[in-house]
Amino acid sequence: MENGEKRDELLIKAKKLVAYIEEGNEQAAEETLNSMTITREQNLFNEVGQLTRQLHDNLASFASEGQLTELTDKEIPDAKERLNYVLKLTDEAATTTLNAIDDILPVTDKMQKTSEALSKKWRKFVGRELSLTEFRAMSGEITEFLDASCENSDFVHKKSNEIVMAQGFQDLTGQIITKVIVLVQEVEESLVNLVRIAGSQKNEAEDIVIHKKEALEGPLVPGIEVEGAVNNQDDVDDLLSSLGF
Amino acid sequence: MDKNMKILVVDDFSTMRRIVKNLLRELGFTNLDEADDGQTALPKLKAGSYDFLVTDWNMPGMTGIELLKAVRANPDTANMPVLMVTAESKREQIIEAAQAGVNGYIIKPFTAATLKEKLDKIFERNAS
Repeated sequence: MENGEKRDELLIKAKKLVAYIEEGNEQAAEETLNSMTITREQNLFNEVGQLTRQLHDNLASFASEGQLTELTDKEIPDAKERLNYVLKLTDEAATTTLNAIDDILPVTDKMQKTSEALSKKWRKFVGRELSLTEFRAMSGEITEFLDASCENSDFVHKKSNEIVMAQGFQDLTGQIITKVIVLVQEVEESLVNLVRIAGSQKNEAEDIVIHKKEALEGPLVPGIEVEGAVNNQDDVDDLLSSLGF
Repeated sequence: MDKNMKILVVDDFSTMRRIVKNLLRELGFTNLDEADDGQTALPKLKAGSYDFLVTDWNMPGMTGIELLKAVRANPDTANMPVLMVTAESKREQIIEAAQAGVNGYIIKPFTAATLKEKLDKIFERNAS
């Protein structure tokens, strides 16, 4: 009905406009034309206003779900901390490993050279080409070499264990990166939802359910406070002993 | 401590399984087996003859805490010592594990000395 009224009104104005133009009444024609345009603009404004209000409401209800705010306020900065910690852990592991190898290589190189030299002398001895003085010298060198071998094997063993322990970074960084991947997925979903809300009708915002899983906390990351977390093994031991362990 | 005891090491990260096995070997244990989560560990444990379980907490499929509870619920394995080696460090989790009957709890990253200390403690207590 409203549309019908509007059409009638428009028709009347249009007829008047034609009449004024035919009469040559320019001023009246101009006024009529203006009043027609104003009505049109008014409608457009109303519509834009309505859309804006809808968008505002939807965004407000979206934000009140807390999801986007939490993501930007907490989770994304946390993710940065986590990734920085990954960098630190990988750096430490690489350094530990390379240092251990730097320590090992000179020892094995020296052993290799000594055993090569001794091996030559030993062959001469077996071939009865060694004088008594030379034999005595070799005998001393062999004793020294055997003692050093024991010591060096222990040393290499100890350093190898350091290398093994350093590989623990892979588990920890793996867990941290997995958490960040989950976060990236959540951000992606949130953005998709935001786009959907911006282009949709009112009620849709209510349909959006954020399915955030109850996740395990994973490795401790310096700079990220986790409520109720212990700081180290001593804390764990204290807690357990307070429970009668 | 019987160095021939059969030990199952459960962790979803193969590097960590290797590290733990390596450390145990270092401590003289040679009878070592592994599983990558609770779901694969449980049938192995049920098949029997394991003396000790070392498990992570956060694993896909079946977590370490669920595995611990399942082990305690089965009369055949109810008394098996269980050591948890995990990055999970919330007090409520440690308490949950203690209540479920864990024998030791180590948080990652850990040292060889910590592992040895906890093993000694577990088997000292079990022997007495």
